[in-house]
Amino acid sequence: MATMYDKLAELLVTRFDVDAEEIRPEVTFEDLEMDSLFLVELLVVVQTELGVKIDEDMASPRDTIARVAELIEEQLVPAGEPA
Amino acid sequence: MSAVPVAVTGLGLVTAAGIGTAATWSGVCAGGSRAARDPQLAGLPVDFSCTVPDFDPDALVGRRSRLKYDRFTQLALVAAREAVADAGLDPKSWDGTRVAVVLGCGLGGVATWEAQHDRMRDVGATAVSPLLIPMLVPNMVAGNVAMDLKATGPNFVTATACASGATAIGTALSLLRDGLCDVVVTGGSEAGVSPLIVTGFAQMGALSKRLDDPAAASRPFDVDRDGFVIGEGSGILVLEREADARARGARVRARVAGYGATADAHHMTSPDPEGVAVRRALSQALAQAGVGPDEVDHVNAHGTSTPLNDAAEAKVLHDLLGARAAVSSTKGVLGHTLGSAGAIEAALTVLAIETSTVPPTANLRAQDPKVELDVVSGRAREQRTEVAVSNSFGFGGQNAVLVFTT
Repeated sequence: MATMYDKLAELLVTRFDVDAEEIRPEVTFEDLEMDSLFLVELLVVVQTELGVKIDEDMASPRDTIARVAELIEEQLVPAGEPA
Repeated sequence: MSAVPVAVTGLGLVTAAGIGTAATWSGVCAGGSRAARDPQLAGLPVDFSCTVPDFDPDALVGRRSRLKYDRFTQLALVAAREAVADAGLDPKSWDGTRVAVVLGCGLGGVATWEAQHDRMRDVGATAVSPLLIPMLVPNMVAGNVAMDLKATGPNFVTATACASGATAIGTALSLLRDGLCDVVVTGGSEAGVSPLIVTGFAQMGALSKRLDDPAAASRPFDVDRDGFVIGEGSGILVLEREADARARGARVRARVAGYGATADAHHMTSPDPEGVAVRRALSQALAQAGVGPDEVDHVNAHGTSTPLNDAAEAKVLHDLLGARAAVSSTKGVLGHTLGSAGAIEAALTVLAIETSTVPPTANLRAQDPKVELDVVSGRAREQRTEVAVSNSFGFGGQNAVLVFTT
């Protein structure tokens, strides 16, 4: 099964014109030339496509792709339950 | 005291006749209408338009421009880069604090507005893009051009409906004459071919309903004209005080010599049939240029192909200029691009002067007998033009007239 990181990577490629080769866990959104407006747009897409709501003040363009994938996973799994 | 001479040193055009000044000018001079059935308008009361062919924003503007700019901004960025390069200026080395960007736009990002409205209705408020507002507000076109060119002088958008582009150029002239900047990137951009906007114009009876023959629909000054054909595009001019342009060895393509601006104060959408205010705008522009009515060689008319505009405009032109000037309406080829029309036509007027060519008015087969003017039709006319007028009139009765000279 695809991990959240893979799903996020796929959204970046299909919806935000990011080259697949550019995507690595430690790459930040700033590195991808995605500013705060694009990051909020990404969170809108994540909510629409994956059904997970992330508050815009939880993520910043300086976060890595891996960090935002983690954030989504944390919201997916209610606190206290096993992953 | 005579006004400080202002030179046109660069041109950029993106129109239904093609991307770039050369493609547009050759299409306009060939005289074939670019109107065609438009898939996004299928099933609507009017289903044809003049759109820019093969415009790939990511290839032409840069990565993700499809996602972050509405089309009216994308068109302007391409035209502005062309105009600045044509002027021999380099945004990497110029003093950006002395560069103004003044553009006309009548509508703004209407396609973005409609798409996001659909998302809110169909998916919900949480699906609305945070880019909605920066993509749709009309002033953003000047803001984005400034960011692209690192131009940090005066920066704004003028809105006088279908005269917006001409109003921008006239206002830019004042900024240069007042010394607020040394270079102005001016003109206009519009991408209003959306289902809602086209239907709105159709409902008010402004558009041609020649559904069976779109290519014959825009026919300015023809006796069988029945409305305008909506188009899109951008026209950008680089203006500098002539002394500055000469000092840096720039090519002076023509001069912007005069500007007149008035209001009909008559009706929201119909022109004053007597054209009193239009006449005054034209007189002002000629007086500012220091030329007499009998010296005008060429007029790029507003010529929308609506019954009312063309009759009223022809009356004013005949009353004031007589029948000497060679008159064209390039809307026959390009359609009516609303807020950018005055800018595109200003650029075409400069080209008419520069190339000694008056473009033809497409689809003019039987000239309306009430139009007592020398309207160029069929093919382009070789003619030396020293003084040319470009007319633009907007809903709201807003009139802007520019005079260009060699």
